[in-house]
Amino acid sequence: MSIVTVQLGQCGNQIGYEVFNAICSDFHSTHGLCSKKENESYQEACKERFFSEEKTGVPVARAVLVDMEPKVISQTLSMAARSGHWKYDHQSHFCQKQGSGNNWANGYSVHGPRYREVIMNLVQKEAEKCDRLSGFFTVMSMAGGTGSGMGAFVTQCLRDAFPTSFILNQVIWPYGTGEVIVQNYNSVLTLSHLYQSSDALLVHENDAIHKICAQLMNIKKISFRDVNQVIAHQLGSVFQPTYSSEGASQYSKSPLGDLMESLVPHPEFKMLGLRNIPQMSENSLAYSTFTWPGLIKHLRQMLIANAKMEEGIDWQVRPPLPGHPVPPKASPNKALHFNTSIANLVVLRGKDVQSVDLGGFRDPALYTSWLNPQEAFNIWKTPRAFNKYEKSASLVSNSQFLLKLMDNIVGKAWNMFASKAYVHQYTKFGIEEEDFLDCFTTLEQVISSYASL
Amino acid sequence: FGSTRGMWPGRAGALPAAIGALCRALPPGSRPAPETFRLAKFNRPEAVRAGEAGTDPPDGYCTQIRFVKSVLRYHGYGRPEFYQLPSDGSQGSRELLLAFSWLLNRINLLEQLLTANRVKIGDEASVCTVSRFFCLSSPSHQLDVDVRYLQWLNGRLRFKWRSLHVDRQEQCKLLHKIHSYTSGCHMDQTIGHFSVTETDLIRQPDSYKQLLQLLESETSRLEAFLEWKQLEPVYWHWMVKSRERTLPDEREFCAAVRTITEAVKLKLSDLKYHCAHKKNGMHGSYRLVFKDKRSEPITNVNATEVISKLQMEEATLKRELKRLQEECRHKLDEIAEGLVGVICIPPIKR
Repeated sequence: MSIVTVQLGQCGNQIGYEVFNAICSDFHSTHGLCSKKENESYQEACKERFFSEEKTGVPVARAVLVDMEPKVISQTLSMAARSGHWKYDHQSHFCQKQGSGNNWANGYSVHGPRYREVIMNLVQKEAEKCDRLSGFFTVMSMAGGTGSGMGAFVTQCLRDAFPTSFILNQVIWPYGTGEVIVQNYNSVLTLSHLYQSSDALLVHENDAIHKICAQLMNIKKISFRDVNQVIAHQLGSVFQPTYSSEGASQYSKSPLGDLMESLVPHPEFKMLGLRNIPQMSENSLAYSTFTWPGLIKHLRQMLIANAKMEEGIDWQVRPPLPGHPVPPKASPNKALHFNTSIANLVVLRGKDVQSVDLGGFRDPALYTSWLNPQEAFNIWKTPRAFNKYEKSASLVSNSQFLLKLMDNIVGKAWNMFASKAYVHQYTKFGIEEEDFLDCFTTLEQVISSYASL
Repeated sequence: FGSTRGMWPGRAGALPAAIGALCRALPPGSRPAPETFRLAKFNRPEAVRAGEAGTDPPDGYCTQIRFVKSVLRYHGYGRPEFYQLPSDGSQGSRELLLAFSWLLNRINLLEQLLTANRVKIGDEASVCTVSRFFCLSSPSHQLDVDVRYLQWLNGRLRFKWRSLHVDRQEQCKLLHKIHSYTSGCHMDQTIGHFSVTETDLIRQPDSYKQLLQLLESETSRLEAFLEWKQLEPVYWHWMVKSRERTLPDEREFCAAVRTITEAVKLKLSDLKYHCAHKKNGMHGSYRLVFKDKRSEPITNVNATEVISKLQMEEATLKRELKRLQEECRHKLDEIAEGLVGVICIPPIKR
């Protein structure tokens, strides 16, 4: 039931740190709202999943840190050690003395192969520490240069070395108005390569998280740390221990396996989106109360209307009525009103989880015609509250959430490619035009599959 | 058993003894009362429920009956009256008795149950390097199912298989820990370390009572089995007698038996020929023992040997898969050529 996290690049390492931090602080939370026995089970499961024992008694994160430069990694290592509650294994990292230019092809074709053995040895060591290896969780940005290129290569290496393990890629979707001019190329290359090697891609969009910080958390000057902490909270709300089936007597020993089985058995559909409710600043939290029906109603509408957070939801969007065919979505460029799902997973934590009515998520109108809700909808729950939220609900969804975004990015990248802009930056490191074409076709196939739901 | 009493003047007690032994040889919990057999012969409904107890299926009575039918079909039982029995268990104990007896003889049911339920002190590993070729017949009717749903189900199956793999790896890891921690402790030098059961006995000495109970139960079942083997002919004679009433013309029957025997002989020789080169496959359950590289080889099976045999099998199967994939690709290319304005896009090369 242990998950080995591979933190890739600056983005991956910063987010990875926040994730372990959030998990650790939830571990120590005194607001569990459950029995002592339950809390102890939860803590034991959490510890086994994310940390290994060391002689000093301080839990050591099951993680491998990879980056081309030393700065972020050393910051990450020292911040963790200073917390006193957990730390990284200081042997379990890889970096180079100097940076290597911000180039995806360089990362994938040059640095990846060059340092493959060293990096995979570190991963192997972490894997061997686990009695039961549930799988790998990689964290990286999609549009970065060397970091993303290397990340794509490392994921491939993971798949080759561990053919039957579960691999989940956490990818950060760049800001729409990003600064890097070739970010769309990088995104296309990263996405298409990850699609071949991993079992599922869990996406967080910088733009969406930024809005959450601004509107829900009321943060005036939003830093990367704020964005990363929201992401960490969302990830923690899914991957902390839960009971993954009705009547289960112990916390799930296969979190990644359970996730994959419920959401991504079909090899063409691997894109997952994540929504969490409620989200607010710690100050407001003390004065707020929630009801499960309210939370579930909002979450369901967030799914249907493809809203990124619980404010500004379009309540006009409705699932198609039975008997009325869904209007054909001829092109994903047309504003998609109704978000069709393949499969959904709802994670509930906190008070009175047993009494929650999730009938709304079992409505067949929410799902594509070829899968019935009995198979398409799954629930994980625990009475143990998460991170001071008395009630918390998360949704991991395999749906058309990312369809428009993907189409957008692929469209922009294609326009650039059509005029061969900046392509030489890639060909000089071995990524040929034909490789680009392969990537475009892969993603067009994915977009077409999702559009035809 | 009024009708048979006259037939067995000298062996009046032999039949109940035989049936009694049969019942006692079955695993506890799946053991019908001997009286059930007598009732079954006269098609008494209570006998059906009790008779079903010999199986070990999932929940639900209807499911139980379906399960029993599917097991018998799998083993080739061909009597239509049995399969036509209603699912509510209201009748058919006689058919059930017949089916049970058939299975008893056909697959050596008792021996199998005794083997499956034997008390294991050591850690077990089952070895199979003989590959089985399953011939699946294609469905005779068109299935009206979206292919994406089938792909979904296939994906779930693969994930479950991978989860099983994770389970097995964990089991191996923990077994290794126990074997290496207890190395040098075992009285039997050829084994050298404790098994999980033995380690548990050391840690919780009181659990020996349970183990003793299991061993005693096994011993009594084995004794019952020996008894049964002595008295077996009595049982079969009784069964045949009960069937005699409904048998067709004896000559027809003999002719049918002859035809069947010949067909079977043919199939058997076919199978033997097919499996000829596989005769030396390792097969069965072995006690798992952790050995130092330097220690003397013993007469049993070596893990390294098994691994290399499996790797050879894997290579053969991979080649076969590749060949089939190529065939598929060619077929697709042919089809694509016939379509106007269509390009076939293969998956991304790695």
